[in-house]
Amino acid sequence: MSTSSAISVQGLTKDFRVGLRGIKLRAVDNLSLEIPRGQVFGLLGPNGCGKSTTLKIVLGLIPATSGSISILGSPSATSEARQRTGFLPEAPYFHKFLTGRELVQYCARLSGVPAEKVGEAVEGSLELAAMTEAANRPIGTYSKGMLQRIGLAQAIVHDPELVILDEPTAGVDPVGSAAIGRMINAMRAKGKTIVLCSHLLGQVEQVCDRVAIMDRGRLVLEGRVDEVLAQRDRHVITVADLTPQARQAAEAALAAHGATVTSITHPRRSLEDLFRELVTGSRDA
Amino acid sequence: MNARLTRTSWIARITFLEAIRQRFFAFLLVLSAVMVVSSVSLRFMDFGHSELKFVADFAFGGMFLFGSVLALVMTAQLFFAEIENRTALTLLAKPLSRTEFLLGKFLGTWAVLGVFVFSLAFLQGVILWSRTQELIVLAAETGRVAPDFSVSGLASFAVLQWLRLGVVAAMVLMVSAVARTFLFTVIVGAMAIVAGQLQWLAQEALLKPSDASVVTKSLLWISSRVIPQPPAV
Ligand SMILES: Nc1ncnc2c1ncn2[C@@H]1O[C@H](COP(=O)(O)OP(=O)(O)OP(=O)(O)O)[C@@H](O)[C@H]1O
Ligand SMILES: [Mg+2]
Repeated sequence: MSTSSAISVQGLTKDFRVGLRGIKLRAVDNLSLEIPRGQVFGLLGPNGCGKSTTLKIVLGLIPATSGSISILGSPSATSEARQRTGFLPEAPYFHKFLTGRELVQYCARLSGVPAEKVGEAVEGSLELAAMTEAANRPIGTYSKGMLQRIGLAQAIVHDPELVILDEPTAGVDPVGSAAIGRMINAMRAKGKTIVLCSHLLGQVEQVCDRVAIMDRGRLVLEGRVDEVLAQRDRHVITVADLTPQARQAAEAALAAHGATVTSITHPRRSLEDLFRELVTGSRDA
Repeated sequence: MNARLTRTSWIARITFLEAIRQRFFAFLLVLSAVMVVSSVSLRFMDFGHSELKFVADFAFGGMFLFGSVLALVMTAQLFFAEIENRTALTLLAKPLSRTEFLLGKFLGTWAVLGVFVFSLAFLQGVILWSRTQELIVLAAETGRVAPDFSVSGLASFAVLQWLRLGVVAAMVLMVSAVARTFLFTVIVGAMAIVAGQLQWLAQEALLKPSDASVVTKSLLWISSRVIPQPPAV
């Protein structure tokens, strides 16, 4: 268990008992994971593979069946460790009758922000989450994406060094999720550790330094994003004004050196890029 | 220690705000208020002490009944709403111990019960007082003994009522913390209230000066003065 890890998980297993007969359901299966400090770590996997369960165990919200964890150097999520951690649960739900600002204030006070600094901290995090405008409305009137963003604001209001985000972009439009991506980058620039679960692989690829992929409670892959994704034996050359003659000449020249052209296609923009180009911003933002 | 206090008081504050906005609270408050007010119209033909006592018995009985229902259902509801709506998930990821969470929930609920008891007691006081004034005039006319109305008696009754509802709320919260469902909690809580109530009556009826501690004795003495006896059946 190295002290440089923000989170370390060793041989973690979690069984849920479901139904009246108490049939065991293994949600996490002998999972070991090291999440280094100061990086953005993506936890991926299909629905029900145990991502949220793992995060909840790390935060001490549910007990593990076996295995051990360490968070920010302490062997369990102590009050002190939680004070340095921010958490956005998946599909967050907050007290509907509070306004966004009241909720963030409430969370700031619970997380140990001193009274004289609350105002500043609250405004700062509302602004980061692009929720200043809607901050005086009751949470019951928020759209799904706004709920997600106010959840983000409450998670970071006490300026934690570790931020755990369970599907921060679920239900958020591409512009909003690009904003969340920028927020994550800004936090990394300040030296924070960010752990996030997401199904938006495109975004994970852009924003994460490392990823782990889980399947049926087991870890199937872990590593640096660029290392995991690079196909080291393939190369891409982008060419403008490629005439058939030029193409033949190029292929011949490459063949002379023993290289084969396996495919020639047009580069495509991602739908996400196109969308972001055409749409200026969400109405809520 | 200070941080603990801050966190507990914030949980209490939000719990209070949430409870006070519930329709269930407003409903029971209005129902009890109607009961208190209508108690005046149910008076006996016989004027004098027994009228005021009957009015008070009726209203206080209603207050305790509805107060218990409120303490039971609201406490359990507030607790399970946090679990089911997953707001607890956000809260417990904060540097907040479960004790602080439960204590804050309790204090918030208890404060709401205070609002319930004291606003009804105030209403009750106004009604009893104005009726007393009428009876004093009547008594002077007919030459009977004038009834008296003690504000401090009513106030201490209200405080005692509030303490009792606090005990109910604390008990329900403890059941909630170990139970899995709202329904189970409400059923167990209701049985406990009934059992406690029977025991209370039994103690009052069987009280012998010798076999009770000083505290119990004085408590029971106070309660026997302040709490109206149920009408003999
Ligand atoms: N409280 C619970 N009781 C019983 N089973 C549970 C409970 N919580 C989770 N599970 C089960 O554990 C498994 C893992 O759930 P988990 O929520 O961790 O998945 P996930 O990876 O976060 O999925 P998603 O991408 O849909 O959020 C699922 O099969 C789920 O049904
Ligand atoms: Mg999940």
